[in-house]
Amino acid sequence: MSEIITHAELRRLMDDWIARGGEVIGPAAVKPDLVQYARLESAGLMLSGYIHPANSIKEFFFPRSEILYRYKFTGKKIELSDVVNDPVKPMLIMGARPCDASMLPILDRVFNWDYKDNFYDKRRDAATVVTMACTEHDDACFCTSVGCGPAAEQGSDALLIRLGEDAFEVRCLTGKGRALFQGKTQPGERTAEIPPGPPLKFDADFVRKFTRDNFDNPIWGELTLRCAGCAACAYTCPTCHCFDIVDEGNAYGGARVKNWDCCQFSMFTQHASGHNPRSAQGQRQRQRLSHKFAIYPDKFGEILCTGCGNCGRICPVGLGVLTVLEEISNATPSLESVEPV
Amino acid sequence: MNETNRFEPRIIAYVCNWCTYLGADLAGTNRLEYPANVRIIRFPCTGRIDFNLIVKAFEAGADAVLVSGCHPGDCHYTAGNYHARRRWMLFRQLLDTLGIDLNRIHFTWISAAEGRKWAQVVTGITEQTRQMGPYTAYREIARASA
Amino acid sequence: MIVDQLRELCARLLSEGTAQVVIGYGQAAPGKPAYPVFIRRAEDADQLVWNDQCMTNLAATLKRREVKALGKPAVIVKGCDERALIMLAKESQIVRANIYVIGVECNGAGRPAMAKCASCDVHVPRWTDTVIRETESQAAAVRTTPSSARYADLEAFMRKTPEARLAFWRAEFGRCVKCYACRQVCPLCYCERCIADKNRPCVIDTSATPKGNFAWHITRAFHLAARCAGCDECARACPAHIDLRLLNLALAAAAEDHFGWRAGMDPEAEPPAGAYSLKDKEDFIG
Repeated sequence: MSEIITHAELRRLMDDWIARGGEVIGPAAVKPDLVQYARLESAGLMLSGYIHPANSIKEFFFPRSEILYRYKFTGKKIELSDVVNDPVKPMLIMGARPCDASMLPILDRVFNWDYKDNFYDKRRDAATVVTMACTEHDDACFCTSVGCGPAAEQGSDALLIRLGEDAFEVRCLTGKGRALFQGKTQPGERTAEIPPGPPLKFDADFVRKFTRDNFDNPIWGELTLRCAGCAACAYTCPTCHCFDIVDEGNAYGGARVKNWDCCQFSMFTQHASGHNPRSAQGQRQRQRLSHKFAIYPDKFGEILCTGCGNCGRICPVGLGVLTVLEEISNATPSLESVEPV
Repeated sequence: MNETNRFEPRIIAYVCNWCTYLGADLAGTNRLEYPANVRIIRFPCTGRIDFNLIVKAFEAGADAVLVSGCHPGDCHYTAGNYHARRRWMLFRQLLDTLGIDLNRIHFTWISAAEGRKWAQVVTGITEQTRQMGPYTAYREIARASA
Repeated sequence: MIVDQLRELCARLLSEGTAQVVIGYGQAAPGKPAYPVFIRRAEDADQLVWNDQCMTNLAATLKRREVKALGKPAVIVKGCDERALIMLAKESQIVRANIYVIGVECNGAGRPAMAKCASCDVHVPRWTDTVIRETESQAAAVRTTPSSARYADLEAFMRKTPEARLAFWRAEFGRCVKCYACRQVCPLCYCERCIADKNRPCVIDTSATPKGNFAWHITRAFHLAARCAGCDECARACPAHIDLRLLNLALAAAAEDHFGWRAGMDPEAEPPAGAYSLKDKEDFIG
């Protein structure tokens, strides 16, 4: 037995959500040649037949720019006003790829392990995430190599799996998912096939050991020599979560703002003294990969990468996580041959 | 519209220290009247007026911007105004492509002896801007958060 | 075949010591976008490829500290890339004599060809140490004369009302996440510290809000006024597909209109940015 929803019923569900004052986010053709997760004005704008949008759902939980509080100068006094309790609309994320939703448990830990980030948490609480299992993958996809997969359930409230031309099998995974699909599905005999994911492309355990043992290995600089030093990889990555806090305003007042930041910028680690502990691009690439495959796993037990492949698809010089790790794996065929430097 | 609630445009004037600022000063010492809608910001030279300052003025809520300095040949630093002229030739094209209203950006040469011209220019721009109404298009962009 | 000649030349330059590094194109698989490779040993010369995926402007790699550390470069350029190289020399960022320039005839890069290729009039680089050309029969089959006017896309865009133009840019810049890929891949954005990374005073908000994004894109475009060589790498690199080409075209058109100048077309001509003429047009100044 399975639960089934038709495409028409699913669209109705989304339009109802909008009609009740909520926000629906899903993959949309925002330009003729560009698919991104975006706020949808109606369910009809949601796209099917995409592999992975050119952004991630991260920005709907952890926006690229977010005001933490406002300040105002009156004479010698400073007046602060909080925005943390400003309400957010109920958010329905529809059609997220499992590799995108998988970033939610990851960010949950980052934003809650000691300090509770109420900005993130209020959006997380307001969100229902419906994922859509992948029927296709491209050369850039590598979810299976990092413990994710085309029908992975991490972070998802309900998983939709394509069932023929006009329906999905619904697998409700949480209370939120069950509440969303309550009374909208029909029981059915058919069950959907879980499609195969991309083949294994590298050994994540090997990468973890390699990054730990090869801090000063010149291979980092060698493999990443073409890196242009932008943040296209990090800003389209579901899991990259670095941010900077700045004050923006004038003589009368302004706001303290939390903005995305990226370890690939040379300014990221620049000290006021002028010293830069990561002065070369190879060191910055090593940092990005080490954070994903060793530093975060050491702290939280999981890899900070869901294998969505956006970095490889989007990089202007074709240098994603996958590219570098494949080359490292090729250059050092077995763990034993890796000599710590 | 009656006198009390009519729209008073905010005009930012970026002027050079050696010519236009003195021209404005002369207008004052001659007791010439001109609208109080203009906020003067003094620079060493028109060559120092960064294009971003025009954008900043609109961000901050200006309804019009005036850039003014020494006549060609009169620059205190010989050629600052020539460099500025060339900068604005190109910058206007960029703003036009962006859809920013060029009728809100004015350039003039006003010398230290032209107090009368200063009063006339400011009066003219104030009137024209009053006719056009507030420049909300760019202000909205500046105030919208992501 | 061009690629064979390139590989042979690369091996020769490295073994003879004419260059310590050959900056060319590599490719992960046929049909995938080519990327920069830095060949330092003659036996690696066969990593080089040459095909319609060689879109990257390799002149942009020359500004990077890591690349400068590799020693004297030989760099492969298409006609359009060479324009950036000429500008870098005009602006004293490179010394022409210290670089070996390998020109390659190009009849369109990208599949479909990039927008700039339709109005290309620099198929054959002219300022090189060597130029490798298609054989006559190959060239005859693919050679294109400019099929559209240089500023056709801009002219079409300028037919919109100013309000529609501003609305267009609000939507375009609305997708900007400030990853600065446009800056990083630009051969002429070579400032050691970009104005966007300065905060005393903070001219450009770091926030990727409409205000911060307009400020950034206006600044990026205008800092390249009469300097941009039109390689369109910024537009190609943008993960949000922001139409940066239009802004570059606007300033290129203005520079050509006012000064008869096209950046990097003539190594002898003096750039108009940072200069002036007593005859400059001032019909907009009261």
